[in-house]
Amino acid sequence: MNVAGIGVVFSGGRGISSYDDALKHGWTKPEDSGYHVKKESIIDKRFLDKIRRADRFSKMAVLASADAVADSAINLNKKKSSLGIIVSTAFGPHVTTFRFLDDILEYGDRNASPTTFSHSVHNAAASYISSVLESRGPTITLTQFAFSFHQALILARAWLYEERCEYVLVGSVDECGTVMEYICSQKLRIAEDGRIKPFNFLETPVAVPGDGSVFFLMTREKSHKKYCEITAVSLNDKSVEKNKQDMCILDADGMTGDEREYQKAAESGVCISGYSPIFGSMMTGSGFGCAAGALMLKNQMRYACPVQDNPHNINICAKTEPAQIQRISCIRYNGREEKAVIKLKN
Amino acid sequence: MKKPNVVITGMGAISAAGANLTETLDTFQRGQANKKPVFEHRMSTLILALCAVDEALDDAELKKDIEDFRVGVCLGTTVASQLNDVDFYRSYRSTGKASMDSVDRFLKGNLAQAVANTIKAKGPCVTVVNACSSGADAIGVALSWLMNGECDIAIAGGADELNRIPICGFGALGIVSESLCAPFDRDRKGLNLGEGAGILVLEKETCARKRGRKSVLYLAGYGASADAYHLTAPRPDGTGLEAALNRALAEAHIMAQDICFVNAHGTATRDNDKVEGIALERVFGKDIKVLSTKGFTGHTLAGAGGLEAVFTGAALLEGWIPASVGFEHQDEEIPITPVTEKTHIQGSFAVSTSLAFGGNNAAIVIGKKRWN
Repeated sequence: MNVAGIGVVFSGGRGISSYDDALKHGWTKPEDSGYHVKKESIIDKRFLDKIRRADRFSKMAVLASADAVADSAINLNKKKSSLGIIVSTAFGPHVTTFRFLDDILEYGDRNASPTTFSHSVHNAAASYISSVLESRGPTITLTQFAFSFHQALILARAWLYEERCEYVLVGSVDECGTVMEYICSQKLRIAEDGRIKPFNFLETPVAVPGDGSVFFLMTREKSHKKYCEITAVSLNDKSVEKNKQDMCILDADGMTGDEREYQKAAESGVCISGYSPIFGSMMTGSGFGCAAGALMLKNQMRYACPVQDNPHNINICAKTEPAQIQRISCIRYNGREEKAVIKLKN
Repeated sequence: MKKPNVVITGMGAISAAGANLTETLDTFQRGQANKKPVFEHRMSTLILALCAVDEALDDAELKKDIEDFRVGVCLGTTVASQLNDVDFYRSYRSTGKASMDSVDRFLKGNLAQAVANTIKAKGPCVTVVNACSSGADAIGVALSWLMNGECDIAIAGGADELNRIPICGFGALGIVSESLCAPFDRDRKGLNLGEGAGILVLEKETCARKRGRKSVLYLAGYGASADAYHLTAPRPDGTGLEAALNRALAEAHIMAQDICFVNAHGTATRDNDKVEGIALERVFGKDIKVLSTKGFTGHTLAGAGGLEAVFTGAALLEGWIPASVGFEHQDEEIPITPVTEKTHIQGSFAVSTSLAFGGNNAAIVIGKKRWN
C-alpha cells in the first residue's frame, strides 16, 4: 500500500512540514515535564463548529487526520463511502475518563456529565474524524499497547486489498495527562535531562513521556504515492528481516521497558537511526518513526539522530545529508522480546 | 482476489440468559425474560471472555492443537480498555499518590492479548474498542485477517463486564430503563445494562477440512459504516445502518430476500429502535422476521455483537428464533414488528446488526450450508 498523505500533531507543532523541520533541526529540550502538544497546535477555526465540544485527544486525532487528507491533495468529497478510518491508541482518552471519575467522586453516581462520559469512550476520536471528513465508510478504533499502530496498518492493508475501501486513513493518537505522567514516573525511569537515548539498549532505559497524533492516507493506487510504499508489516516474523535495508529506524523510547533486544538489530551494520527524542516516549510512537522514514524516502535525505549517545559504537546516522535510500525498516520491541517491523520502500 | 470461505467451527456464550449456549437456548426456548433490569455476573471482562472462549474452543475441538495453527485473537471490549479504577483515582486525587496494582492489572489486561496468552494463540492479536459495535467489528476484523492470510483460525467476538462506570455513564445519558427493557415497543423506556461474552471460532474452510471439522455455519459477509453525524445519536434517516447492511449482503453475494431473520441491535432506547426499524424495513421490507435478544441478556455493550452473532448462528442451526421479549405494542414510527413468540424459520442466511456511540454501524451475515 502507498502513503499518499501524512498529518502530524506533536510537541513541535502541527503538520508534516513542521515535523520535517523538527527532524532537520534536531533535538530540543522539552519545555515542560514531557513532549506535550501545545494548546495553539490544536486550534483550527475551520473545524470549530464540528469539534468545539471535542476533548484534546479527539482534537489531536482530527487535525492530524484532516492534514493527512489535505497533504495528499486527493479530493475525497465524492468518495465518502470509500474511505476507511482506523484509529490506534494505547490508552485512549484517559484524561477525559479521569474527568468523568472526577464527576462521580464530586457529584455522585447519578450526577456525572453525559458529555464527559460520551467523550471518554475510545472511539470518540474516530467519530469526530468521520464527522469532520464526512466519511461514511468503515471506522475502527483498536488498541494493542506497543503494537497498536502495527495492528492498525495490518488491518488497513487488508481493507485495501480486499477492496473494502479505496482509501484508508490510518494512524495513532495518545495523550499524556497528569495522571499518566504520575504513572510513568512510577513505572519508568524518567530522563532528568529530557533526553531519550535510543541507542543505550538498557534493561531499564530512560523515557520522557510525550503525546500527539500521526495519520497516514493509504491507497493501493500507485499514482497517488507521495511518500513511499509500505511493503510489509510483520509481528515476530523473522523472514521479513532477510531483505537488505538501507536504513533502520529503532522505535526505542524507554516506554516499554527492556530495550536490550534492539542491539541485535543495531549490530547488523546497517545505518541506524531513532527519532523518539523529537516527539517523546509513546506506546504508539511507531507512527512517528514511520512518518520520519516516509519523509526520508520522499526527500532522499538522511536525518541525523537527534540524540547521538552511542555507547555501543554502532553505525548511527550522525549527519543530516542527501542520500540514496530505497528501503527503510522501522523496528519496535515491546519489552518482552516481541518485535514488530514496518518495511518502507521508495 | 479469490477469497477463502470462512466457516464457523465453534461458538461460546455467557450472559444473563445462560452460562453457556445450551443454557441460553433453554432460556430462549422458554421465552424467559430476566427478572431485573440490571443483569450481572460480577465477573471480570477477562473471565467472561475466557468462559466463552473455552466453550467455543471445545465446540471447535481446537484446545489440544491450538499451537499447531496460526490462531488470531480479535476481541471487542469497552470497559476493559479503560484505565478507570475509582479507588486508584480517588487515592491519586486526595494524596497525589496511588498504588500501581490497578495499573499493572490494566497493563496486563489488554483483552485480546490476555486471552491469546492464556490459550497460547500465536497469530495476530488486537482489541477492538468501537463502543457497542466492538464485538461485531471484531468479527469483521477477524474475517479480514482470514481473507488476507494473516491467520488460519481466528477467535473473535466481544466481552464486557458491568461495573460502576458504564452504569453511571449510561445513567447520565438518561437512556437506562428502571423497568425491564422493551425493544421496539411503543412504550419503551430505555435499555437495561448487562454483561457477558460471545465468541466465534472462525476458520478458513481449507483449514477446517484439514482438521477434519465439518461446519454447517459460515461467516458470509460483514459490512460497516459511519454515520458521520453525532457522537451519541444515530443518524435519523437510518442510512448509516442501511449502508452497512448493503455492504454485508454484497460481500455475501446474496439479496435482501435471502435473509430469513434479523437479530437486531434493539437496545430499547427511543432513538436506536426507531432508526434501526426504519433501516431494516427499507432493506428487508416490513415483513422481515426480527427479534432483539436484549430482553434476555440486557445490553452487554461490546459483548453484544459477539453474543448476538452466536445467537444468530445457533438460531440458523436450530431452525427457530425466540420471542423478542419485552415487545407488546406496535410503535407507529417503527415500520417493522418483532416476533412475539418462538418462531420457526426457514432459510440459509441471517443478519445480526450492531450500532454504537460514535455512529458506528455493523452488520454480519451468517450462512448455513450442507458440507460438500
